[in-house]
Amino acid sequence: MKGLKHLPSSFIQKYLVNKIVWLYILAGGFVLGAALLGLLESSVTIPVSTILHIVSENAFGMGWLDAVPKNEELIIWDIRLPRVLLALCVGASLALAGAAFQGILRNPLAEPYTIGVSSGASLGAVVVIFFHLTIPGLGGFTLPVTAIIGGMITLLVVFGVVRLTNRGLAIETIILAGIIISSFIGALTSLIISLGDQDSMTQIIYWLYGSVAMRGWSHVQLIFPFMIAGAFILLIHYRELNALALGEEAADHIGVNVKRGKIFILVGASLLSGAAVAVSGAIGFVGLVIPHLVRIVTGPDHRHVLPLSMLVGGAFLIIADLISRTIIAPSELPIGVITGLIGAPVFAALLVRERIAGRG
Amino acid sequence: MLKIENVFGGYSSSPIIQGIDLAIENAEFFALLGPNGSGKTTLFKLITGQLPIQSGSVLLSGREIPVYSKLEKAKKISVLTQEVLVSFDYTVEEIIRLGRYPHQKGILKQLSKEDRKVIEDVMEKTKIIQFRHTPFSMISGGEKQRVLLAKALAQEPEILLLDEPTNHLDIKHTFQILDLIKKQQQETGLTVLAILHDLNVAALYADRIGLLQNGRLIDVGNADTLRKEAQLKQVYEVDVKTGSHPTVPKPQILMTPEHAERDFFDFYNSYQIEKNSTYIHMQFEHPLRTISNGVIGEGIHWLKHFCNFHVDKHYNCADPKSDLRERLNNYHIPHEATVAMMTAVNLEDMVMETKDINGIPMLVIVTAGVGNAIDVSNEYTISAGTQIGTINTMVFIDAHFTDGALVNACITATEAKTKALHDLQIKDRESDTIATGTSTDALVIGLTQQGEQTPYAGSGTAVGKGIGQLVYRSTKKAVNKYLKRIRQ
Repeated sequence: MKGLKHLPSSFIQKYLVNKIVWLYILAGGFVLGAALLGLLESSVTIPVSTILHIVSENAFGMGWLDAVPKNEELIIWDIRLPRVLLALCVGASLALAGAAFQGILRNPLAEPYTIGVSSGASLGAVVVIFFHLTIPGLGGFTLPVTAIIGGMITLLVVFGVVRLTNRGLAIETIILAGIIISSFIGALTSLIISLGDQDSMTQIIYWLYGSVAMRGWSHVQLIFPFMIAGAFILLIHYRELNALALGEEAADHIGVNVKRGKIFILVGASLLSGAAVAVSGAIGFVGLVIPHLVRIVTGPDHRHVLPLSMLVGGAFLIIADLISRTIIAPSELPIGVITGLIGAPVFAALLVRERIAGRG
Repeated sequence: MLKIENVFGGYSSSPIIQGIDLAIENAEFFALLGPNGSGKTTLFKLITGQLPIQSGSVLLSGREIPVYSKLEKAKKISVLTQEVLVSFDYTVEEIIRLGRYPHQKGILKQLSKEDRKVIEDVMEKTKIIQFRHTPFSMISGGEKQRVLLAKALAQEPEILLLDEPTNHLDIKHTFQILDLIKKQQQETGLTVLAILHDLNVAALYADRIGLLQNGRLIDVGNADTLRKEAQLKQVYEVDVKTGSHPTVPKPQILMTPEHAERDFFDFYNSYQIEKNSTYIHMQFEHPLRTISNGVIGEGIHWLKHFCNFHVDKHYNCADPKSDLRERLNNYHIPHEATVAMMTAVNLEDMVMETKDINGIPMLVIVTAGVGNAIDVSNEYTISAGTQIGTINTMVFIDAHFTDGALVNACITATEAKTKALHDLQIKDRESDTIATGTSTDALVIGLTQQGEQTPYAGSGTAVGKGIGQLVYRSTKKAVNKYLKRIRQ
């Protein structure tokens, strides 16, 4: 009898484990498929075998084709591949940061863009780009470091405003404070841009919309170390993120060092969002939409939500970038337009659902 | 287990906790009571380390609380508070897994076999295994609290701190949760330190009780500590009266609201009597404080209806209580507000007498039959009554009696009845001695509770004398009527 009673439960357990394994395989496949599509689809058509050869040849020194046209190699290796990889890194970083912000703030609407971190990072980046600043010792990393610091300062200011309104970390209050600070910082950014000439103005405004175009390998190198560091910090804190779902006091009662955990998680998420903004401008709603999609399938356990959000977020942004450069070809849309068009309605839907849940 | 020594502490410079000494024994259930703001939750936070101790010390298993790391502490103490709001749709099992946080080892911090076993075990214990895969947000408040209890038990603590865990629950779920905790305490030796709001619930579950006022422990002891009415009144500023639970040997506290002052009413205009061959129904406009041994309405109550039903002289019913309830229903008399008794004598022979004693109005109704007259003092065994015969006495008084005075009144009325039987030379057939009563006599004393409260109603008091005289006279008359009727 006892064995029988436990059968369904262990069956479900097994089913759940299998489901999770398949989800990782699926997400990984999505990333590879999206990357391949991103390399393949453009104004110049290059066969898949040639693409694979070029990538393999350059990455591992293993090629199988003889004569590959120099211009094709240039397009794939120096233009398309860094662009795809950059989209992958930015999407993964933003989605992971979004999942972490949502977890730590217990707020399904939080993400780098909605709580103002992206705008702060943008301001930092604009200052560096506009004034051609270089912090001694940082060299090329001046841009991401400044953006990260800008994002962190903004986060502190937003928390300060929320605390002053004395409403705890209420869902709408954080978003409202994020919007207020974003508007203010946006005005500052505009002020700086207006001081420049017409040319740099257009350039920066276009950059602000968010884009992974015209970046190259240097930008991939800029974001990569921060993405690895941020992801590592967040992934080892998945249990703390789960515990914080009960609230800080209850998390403390089960032995979580809440203060230390919060600092690590906020720093990790700031590293990811700041670095992403530094290389691609403020791309909104990736951090909102992706973790929600992932949660629908996996449930809220951060052990799986965090890594899967990274994979799906990266793949999603590769696809979004592909759409942005093909939909009105030969012109390009800023990628932020695509994510905004998808993300803002989702944001609205989530807000409505929160309100309904809050009433019920 | 847990030792609190001369502790001062709280939020600001002026400490809320003003020097508390308390030792919680291993495996006991200790309840902290006290009004809002007395420092119960502050004391809890000093124990959990959420608030700093300003002076004194809190020792857990002999070591000071601040010495423990968060993880070590979480293995010893777990906390169950009021319902927490969980963000995102975690399943019940995912919430319970969080309770294993302090026990997880290694770099990956995966759930071990041991962890899984504990989780299964606590889910079984708290009876939530059937919704382990259900989202926490989808289950009811009582079930949520059981899940959070399971999470707290999954920590395998030595002490469970309860901070009003049943505040928002209905009585079913309150008792369910506390029964689970009590069982855990008794079976595994879990120590429980609980903040409870409900004094009566605390009396039922706690082994010891501590009463907090203005940051000081003013009394510590077993549940009988709650019998100190003056102390409770002083602490809570509410008029309380301590009674006893009818089946559990624990006190229960009754609160008196300020609105309880009642309007004065005239005794003689406050009742109606309905009388026919099947029943006598005395109905008062206001409930009377009653003491009775009637089939319905036995004990001490507040009741409005007083009934005496005629039954056949061969009446033999296995369940007279439900039989009488049915009869009351037939006449649309609410049985929950009624004292009801039965008799086989002719109800036409009822005697009703009224009298004012020292300005206190009294009314007595007696129906009497002495076929089963018995002398309780002789040694004959009781034989089943074959004759009709019961003396049913109802005494209504416009006075204010304590519970003790109610008992006095019962004694006095009984003495008067016995004296009447003596004077009429009513005999026990078996022993041929003077009878003291019949085998099934019923009595009700009803008080309007108007006027000055009287603690005594025995034969040494005017009101006692009045009861005696009136009952004596009525009983004598009623027995005479009965004797006359059977002689016919």
